[in-house]
Amino acid sequence: MKSTTLFILIFTMCHIPVLYSQDAKEISEKSLELTRVDAMEMISTLTIMDAKGNERVRQTTTASKKFGETTKIITKFISPADVKGTGLLVYDHKNQDDDMWIYLPALRKTRRIVSSEKGKSFMGSEFSNADMSAPKLDDYNYKILGETIYEDKNCWQIEATSVNDQVADDLGFSKKVSYVDKAGYFTYKNIFYDFDDEIFKEILLRDYEEIDDGKYMVRQMEAINLQNDRKSVMTIDKLQKGSDLTENSFTPAALEK
Amino acid sequence: MTFRIILLAAFFSAFIGNMHAQSLFENASEATDSNKLAIDFNGYGRGSAYGGSENYNYSSVFAEFGIQGTLSKKKAFLFTDLRFRAGTQFDSLYARFQLKETYVGYQSDKIDIYFGAKIVSWGRMDGFNPTDNITPYDYFFLSADPDDQKLPNMLLQTKWYITPKIDFELVLIPIYRPSIYRYDLFDLGEYTSFTNPTIPEITFNNGSVGTRFNFNLRKAGFSISYFHGFDPYYGFNLYNISWEGFVPSIELTSQPYKKSTVGADFSVPLSSWIIRGEVAYNMTYDYAENMYIPNPCIEYVTGVEHQFWGITTILQYIGQYTLDFTPLNEQPGQGNPNEMIIAELTEFNRKIFNQQQETNHALSLSLTRSFAYEKINIEAMGYYNITSEEWFIRPKLSWDITDHLETSIGGFYSTGPDGSIFSYASKVLNGAFVELRVSF
Repeated sequence: MKSTTLFILIFTMCHIPVLYSQDAKEISEKSLELTRVDAMEMISTLTIMDAKGNERVRQTTTASKKFGETTKIITKFISPADVKGTGLLVYDHKNQDDDMWIYLPALRKTRRIVSSEKGKSFMGSEFSNADMSAPKLDDYNYKILGETIYEDKNCWQIEATSVNDQVADDLGFSKKVSYVDKAGYFTYKNIFYDFDDEIFKEILLRDYEEIDDGKYMVRQMEAINLQNDRKSVMTIDKLQKGSDLTENSFTPAALEK
Repeated sequence: MTFRIILLAAFFSAFIGNMHAQSLFENASEATDSNKLAIDFNGYGRGSAYGGSENYNYSSVFAEFGIQGTLSKKKAFLFTDLRFRAGTQFDSLYARFQLKETYVGYQSDKIDIYFGAKIVSWGRMDGFNPTDNITPYDYFFLSADPDDQKLPNMLLQTKWYITPKIDFELVLIPIYRPSIYRYDLFDLGEYTSFTNPTIPEITFNNGSVGTRFNFNLRKAGFSISYFHGFDPYYGFNLYNISWEGFVPSIELTSQPYKKSTVGADFSVPLSSWIIRGEVAYNMTYDYAENMYIPNPCIEYVTGVEHQFWGITTILQYIGQYTLDFTPLNEQPGQGNPNEMIIAELTEFNRKIFNQQQETNHALSLSLTRSFAYEKINIEAMGYYNITSEEWFIRPKLSWDITDHLETSIGGFYSTGPDGSIFSYASKVLNGAFVELRVSF
């Protein structure tokens, strides 16, 4: 893997409304909380399609577990062969920058990496690294733009604008508009705007599945680049609620196993 | 006695701590029933060509089939990386089977044990690791992939995960394996030849041991390590001088030496920068009497990593301070030919060990950038030794044509003042390479 990435709470948190008023922020926070699970394991598939329909497929296995105030996420690539064994470890701190390590089999070493490239493509897909990690609510200003019907659901349209230029540069977009279901606070669509205020990407979230009392996972996410017609789909193939893994399984040394 | 009991208790608690059910994460590429034998294989084929040096049109051209497999049952496993290669290397045809790695192991939550032919890499720096005295290299296996040069040791390795933030590693290497550097390919003069290498006798005393405490904390990662044994990076000794009239015949032998190394490294993230460092204090013995043994020295490497306009940039300073340093007499043994030869060989060894001056300073710069949604990767690494004025550059372009097909193209160019190691090496190692690889 060449991506110096953030990975993941893969499908767990890549929506997230953005808000201008307190109400809009509360809505976003509720939507985010819906998908915050204390522990889970999953196998997922990322399919990357170019404008001609050529496909590349990556399969990963991920475990996530909360220890104190930190959610630790470990991901390993299991196919194709040329990226197999690549691993990524993220310590997702609630109000601080993430800690990240990457293991590249070619180097036979685990290396510390920094999270300054959130706007970069994740594994060559239309998802950005930022799409793969839990957003920091305080990175945005929020406001409710209005309401709309999306796939027969009555949704808020919530705009999230980066609090400053540095955050916007890191994330790779100027603002995002999220469609949040008024009935259940599920986010079904995110629309991303570039720095010319043009829409460049949409992420569609499908198949919310309850895995715990009031906690949900998105089984499928689709990112569509409207400027170059590329498309990427992430699908959870297998999902396990909870995890028996101990904290020793979420260490840089564990990446090398 | 108390100490032994503590050790036993620690050993058993390490195993007991792991008796939880296997998880979806751990079994992702294995059998779904952890009680059954799980088999996981993948492999590749490749064609590789490296050539264009002054002395060899085709330095290394080969076709290779490789297969990597894991057989596992619960926490025990066998891993193997087998390669079959045929081609030509420095004008010699060969067909060779290589055990890149093959080892058995037990991995658990608290302790890992590995035994077999395995590659162990220590150090947090990029390419220059003074604390890594374990891994031998074949510096003359030329290809697009630097990992090809790493060689395994027959070793026993254990890791004990004391806490999630601290682990302890012990490596025992009973049989010494030297690196490979083919000075016989260098043009060292018509009177100089290399005889068989001197290999230490296989005894308990000639084994090597390495230990390391590794810490991964929120603000920094660091380790302290100790190594005692034979350095894979050996020196050369005079085997024989004979004279036919005024014409000498000089035979050299590669000869390893023992050393002890206390090392440390660290990695600290600062905003969007990463600061790294690595230092090693090498203690050698009987160096005054033996030309193939370097003086004790302190090696230190420090560097920064940052992304500029999407380019991952790693800048490193590589330094060395030689202890008990004595300058070589510039006109050694005037009138005594044997002494002159010995002095020249001593200087040659000093060049190998970067001990021509009391301090040695060098810089390295690595630039990497991906394009086209990470299908294309361009990297370049440069090195300049300020003290010896030797330098090299190694650019490479890789293109992932599909998920299973990759091609690489690049080159290596080095040079240095007359009589420097790089000036000898450049005639053999300079060149361009291309590789096409299919993985499955």
